[in-house]
Amino acid sequence: MLWQLLITFFKIGLFSVGGGYPMLSMIHQEVVVKHGWMTSQQVTDMVAISQMTPGPIAINVATFIGYKQAGFLGAVFTTLGVVLPSLILMFLITFFYLKLRGKGWFDAVLKGLRPLIVGLIVSAAWLTAKSAFVDWFGIAVFAICFFLSLKYKVNPVILMLGAGIAGVLIG
Amino acid sequence: MKKPSLLTIFVSFFKIGLFTIGGGYAMLPLIHRDVVDKHRWMDEETFMDGISAAQSCPGAIAVNLSIYTGYHIAGGTGLVLAVLGSILPSFIIILLIALSFSNWSQLEIVQKAFAGLRPAVTALIAVPVIQIAQKSKVKWHAYWLAITALILIVGFHVSPVYMVLFTILLSWIKYLAKSIRAQKKEDKCSGNC
Repeated sequence: MLWQLLITFFKIGLFSVGGGYPMLSMIHQEVVVKHGWMTSQQVTDMVAISQMTPGPIAINVATFIGYKQAGFLGAVFTTLGVVLPSLILMFLITFFYLKLRGKGWFDAVLKGLRPLIVGLIVSAAWLTAKSAFVDWFGIAVFAICFFLSLKYKVNPVILMLGAGIAGVLIG
Repeated sequence: MKKPSLLTIFVSFFKIGLFTIGGGYAMLPLIHRDVVDKHRWMDEETFMDGISAAQSCPGAIAVNLSIYTGYHIAGGTGLVLAVLGSILPSFIIILLIALSFSNWSQLEIVQKAFAGLRPAVTALIAVPVIQIAQKSKVKWHAYWLAITALILIVGFHVSPVYMVLFTILLSWIKYLAKSIRAQKKEDKCSGNC
């Protein structure tokens, strides 16, 4: 079990391009579709918790699932798993980045990945929408938060607090 | 550049990890403030190189940047301390939440709060799509890839792994084809003109 947790999160760390949100598509695929460790809704709840607690989403999700599946050691293994690819690759990139940058093929690959990253984020939004758009209240909260965030760049923590309170009072 | 003590490195990154709520991106300006402005462990240019390296490397961007800055400041030890410092706060806090989760997650008030939080999460994920699309100046016809990815992931549960590998390969081949074409043109020109 510990081994499987380590491998799964190593894979998530290794193939996650573009950081937090695109990573969610990868997390969803491994954790919900493949292993059934969480439901789609639980992943959404986990993202909500991540938005209100410190640190990168990947670390938060890894710690939570690791603990739920195999206790403290499980949490250590999942967190280690998700960080290891960064350790290895970042080390290489730090050494070679300055040489790689400006090399046409490296820039071409980074640029080529951009539209895919957009696709991964849209997928992540879609996957969370399934448990969010259950009634008119959900759609209204989405519309208001989307508008406030895009137009006025309202701090996500404040948006989350407001949405949570609205849920308690109205939902 | 000052020679930093190992404890200061750990404490700096621990504080950064502890006080940045709302995901990894929120950590970047705080790392900048500590590492470049406050402690002067690194100059601006080296730091900016680190950000672009961190973004082009897979994984959590804040972790990647901690690896880069930690290593630059104090080698392997600095790297380990920076990474531990930046992930420990979230590790501990999530562990506490996971420990008590089953006690409070079924409470009615919590369920209601989550009903409000879930659509807010969807909104927060959706907003960057528009921002990235505007910022990265990707041409619209390049978005067949984004749409295909969406259909494959949502509709067919295809793993993003294959799409990442496919895109890397495709971009590389496209680049090769382009440079070969450019080479041919040049050869022709050197003969005729």
